[in-house]
Amino acid sequence: MKLLRLLALKSLLLIALFGPGATQAQPAQNQGTTIIAEPEVEMADLLRRDGKIYVVIVVLLTLLGGVLAYLISLDRKVAKLEKQVKDEMVNR
Amino acid sequence: MKNWWKILTVLLLVFTVVAGLLSEVPRLAILNETIRNLYFHVPMWFGMILILLVSVVYSIRYLRKPTIKNDIIAHESAKVGILFGVLGIVTGMEWARFTWGEYWSNDPKQNAAAIGLLIYFAYLVLRSSFAEQQQRARISAVYNIFAFAALIPLLFILPRLTDSLHPGNGGNPGFNAYDLDSRLRLVFYPAVLGWTLLGIWIVNIKSRLELLRQRLYEIA
Repeated sequence: MKLLRLLALKSLLLIALFGPGATQAQPAQNQGTTIIAEPEVEMADLLRRDGKIYVVIVVLLTLLGGVLAYLISLDRKVAKLEKQVKDEMVNR
Repeated sequence: MKNWWKILTVLLLVFTVVAGLLSEVPRLAILNETIRNLYFHVPMWFGMILILLVSVVYSIRYLRKPTIKNDIIAHESAKVGILFGVLGIVTGMEWARFTWGEYWSNDPKQNAAAIGLLIYFAYLVLRSSFAEQQQRARISAVYNIFAFAALIPLLFILPRLTDSLHPGNGGNPGFNAYDLDSRLRLVFYPAVLGWTLLGIWIVNIKSRLELLRQRLYEIA
């Protein structure tokens, strides 16, 4: 239950992050048919707005991802060793 | 799903980083945006206390039932608790430099935290000074109980009896005034849980590895 609620919270967060960008792009396309000059080109503007705090989040998430990936790989290695030792004990 | 709590850890930490930097926070003078350190510095201490509590529980369990497993978990969680404490003190110094003006202003809680860490460093020194496994495990377990009993008044009672720069101590209103702020709580509690679970995860891996090493000695 907790996990599901967290997942919902996370997807809400993602919508909050990237939702506004998607809705803003639509009126620009309609204008493009009448005014040819400078059609609004879709860029990753969200990442650069608001004092660029999103850049910090990207960096922190990268760091966190790296550390957690390392931890997960350690966990797997230990699990594999545990299995090997267990098999060894059975075969003796 | 045996490892559901590890997935929870990842989700909570991702939430902490994203919501910790994006969420609305109270606008306060001097603190400014650094109030967001509440989601990163403070959980180090909450995590340290909880992980050291795990350590002391396993020390007591060892004294009641002396198994190698109890000793290993007590030792590994003490080490991770100390790591969290060191990170807490370093991040606290960084925060203090820009809000209190100095890295170290001999604040009662700063000093007490440093003494508490020294007591735990002594635990590691004490452990390493025994060659015999049972002697090491038993005496370390007894010392660990003493260390935890000393840490509680050092962090939670003594600093409150005097004026401190830390919030909630002496006549300092600090965080108590906006402890009720639900915006802070919404991220703070998941952050504490996430960072603590990360520590437990490290304890879990290191203890399993240490147990494997012991088993290898038995086989050989």
